[in-house]
Amino acid sequence: MSANAKAKAKAAKPGKKTPLAAKIFLGLVALYLLIPFVTTLVYSLFVEWTDVLPSGFTLRNYAELFTNATFWLSIGRTLILCLVSVVITIVLLLLAMYVVVAVNRRLGRFMQFVCMIPYALQGVILSIGIISLYTGTGTVLSNRMLMLFGAYTILVLPYIYQGIRNALNAIDANMLIQAAEMLGCGRFRAYVQVVLPNIISGILVSSLLAESIVFGDFVLANNIAGTNYQNIQVFLQANMARSSGLSSAIVVIIFLVVGAVTATVLKLQSGTQKSQKE
Amino acid sequence: MAASERPAHAGKAGAKRRPWVGYAAFLPFLIVVIGYELLPLAQLVVNAFIGKESGSFGLENFIKVFTTPLYQQSIVNSLWISVISAIVGIVVAFLAARFAYESSARVRNAFTMVLNMMSNFSGVPLAFAFMILMGNSGVLTLLGQRFGIPFLADFDLYTGQGLLVLYIYFQIPLATLLLLPAFSGIRKEWREAAVILKASPAVYWFKIVIPNLMPSILGTLSVLFSNALAAYATAYAVVMNNYALLPLQITSKFKGDVQIDNATGGALAVVLILLMVACTLINNYFTKRASKGREIV
Repeated sequence: MSANAKAKAKAAKPGKKTPLAAKIFLGLVALYLLIPFVTTLVYSLFVEWTDVLPSGFTLRNYAELFTNATFWLSIGRTLILCLVSVVITIVLLLLAMYVVVAVNRRLGRFMQFVCMIPYALQGVILSIGIISLYTGTGTVLSNRMLMLFGAYTILVLPYIYQGIRNALNAIDANMLIQAAEMLGCGRFRAYVQVVLPNIISGILVSSLLAESIVFGDFVLANNIAGTNYQNIQVFLQANMARSSGLSSAIVVIIFLVVGAVTATVLKLQSGTQKSQKE
Repeated sequence: MAASERPAHAGKAGAKRRPWVGYAAFLPFLIVVIGYELLPLAQLVVNAFIGKESGSFGLENFIKVFTTPLYQQSIVNSLWISVISAIVGIVVAFLAARFAYESSARVRNAFTMVLNMMSNFSGVPLAFAFMILMGNSGVLTLLGQRFGIPFLADFDLYTGQGLLVLYIYFQIPLATLLLLPAFSGIRKEWREAAVILKASPAVYWFKIVIPNLMPSILGTLSVLFSNALAAYATAYAVVMNNYALLPLQITSKFKGDVQIDNATGGALAVVLILLMVACTLINNYFTKRASKGREIV
C-alpha cells in the first residue's frame, strides 16, 4: 500500500507543475462556464443592474420568493414527482430484475434494450407520444397526473437500470441466491433478504442522479401537465417575463439544490471507487 | 455455459409447482413500459403514416414535411445548429481535456468539479442567465454599448445565432467530461519515442495522439450531436415556438395554440427519431471500437 503510494507520488512528480498555457486555457474555460451563473447570482442580490456595476445590495428577491405560496407549491410538486416516480421505477426494476436473475436470464437482453430507449430518444419524443396516445380517450388514462408519473418513470429508467445492473454484477447475485437455496431458503426470499441489502448502496447513487434529472426537467412537465401541475421549472418559465429579480433567485435556488445532489453523488462515487481499489 | 445451466435446472423444482409465478414479478415492469414507452412510440409512427388529408396509409405526411418550407427550414436549422455546436464543443473539449491531462491533480480535480457543476446548468435556468447577460438590456449588451463593442452591443439572443451560443455553452462541459477519460490511454512512452525519432510536435499530435483518440472523439461527437438535436427547454425558453427548429415544431403540433395536428407532428417526430437512432448506432459502434483498441494495448 505505502510502496504503491510512493510509486504514485513519483509518477505524479513530472506532471506536478501545471504548464502556464494549461493554467490559462483551463482558467478561461472555467471562467466562461461560471460567468452566466455568477452573473445571475449577483443580479439576484442587487436592486438594479442598469450600469456597468450593480447597485443597492438587497435580499428582497429571496424574501419575496420565500413568502410566495406558489413557489412552495411548485417545489412541493417537484419533490413529489421526484420521489414518487423514482421509487416506482426502483420497485418495478427490482421486481423485473428478480426474474432476470433467478428465473430466466434471456429476458435480460430485452430489458436492457427497453431501458436504453428513453436515453436515446429523450424528453420531446416521449412526452408527445404519451400525449398523443392518451389525450381525449376519456378514460382514467387521460388523467394528466397519471400521464406525468408514467412519463417520469420511463425518463429515469436508463439511469436506475444501469445502477441496479452494475450493483447486481458487482456482487454476483446468482451465486448468492444459489448459496441461500442450498441452505433451504426460497429464491424470492433469498433475493429480498440476501441480494437486496447488498445492492442498496449501489442503487442509492443512481437514484440520486435520477432525482436531479427529474428536478431539472422542463419538457415533460410543460408538455404533459403545463400550468395544470406546475413544477419548479415551469414556475420559473412562467415568471421569467414578469419579474427578472424573482426569476434570478429561482435560478440560484434550483442550481444550489441540483448542485448539492451532484456533489453528494460524486462523493459517494469516489467513495465506492476508493473502497473497490482497496 | 455451465454456470447458466445450473440455476435453470434448480429453477425447475420451483417452476414445476407454479410455472407462471416466477414471471409474475416481470409483469408490472412490462405493463408500464408498454403503456408509457412502446405504445406511445408506436402511436407516433402510426400517426406519421396515416395521411392527414386522405386518411389512408402512405407517405403523404412525409411528402408534406419535406416540401413545406417551414418544416424544411426546421430540419436544416436543427441539423446546422447541432453540427456547429457539436464541432465547437469537441474542439474546446479536446484542448481542455489535453491541458487538464497535463496539469497537476489539484488543478485537474478543481476543473472537473467546475465541469460537473456546470453541466447541470442547462434548460430554462441557462436560458434565463443568458437573457440577463446578453438579452436586450443584458449586462454584456450594456457594457458593449458603453464601450463601443459592436459584437456585444448588437448581439441578438433571440435568433439562431443566439441559440447557437447557448447550445455551445451546454456542449462544452458535457464534451470535456466525456473526452477526459480517453486521454488516460495516451502513454508517456509514445511522446518519448516520437521525440527520439525526431517527430515534430505537430506530427506527434496529428499522426499519433489524434488517430488514437479518434473512436472516443467521434463517439463523443455523436452524443453531442444528438444532445443538441433533442434539446427543447433551452430553445423554448428563449424563442418560444417562434423559430424553425425540429423539437419546437414537433411540440407545437401536439400542444399548440393552433389546432392539434397529429399527422404532421408524427411525421416530424419520426424524422427526429431516425436521426437520434442513427446517432445512437454510430455512438455504439465507436464505443465498441474504443474499448476494443484499449484491450489490445
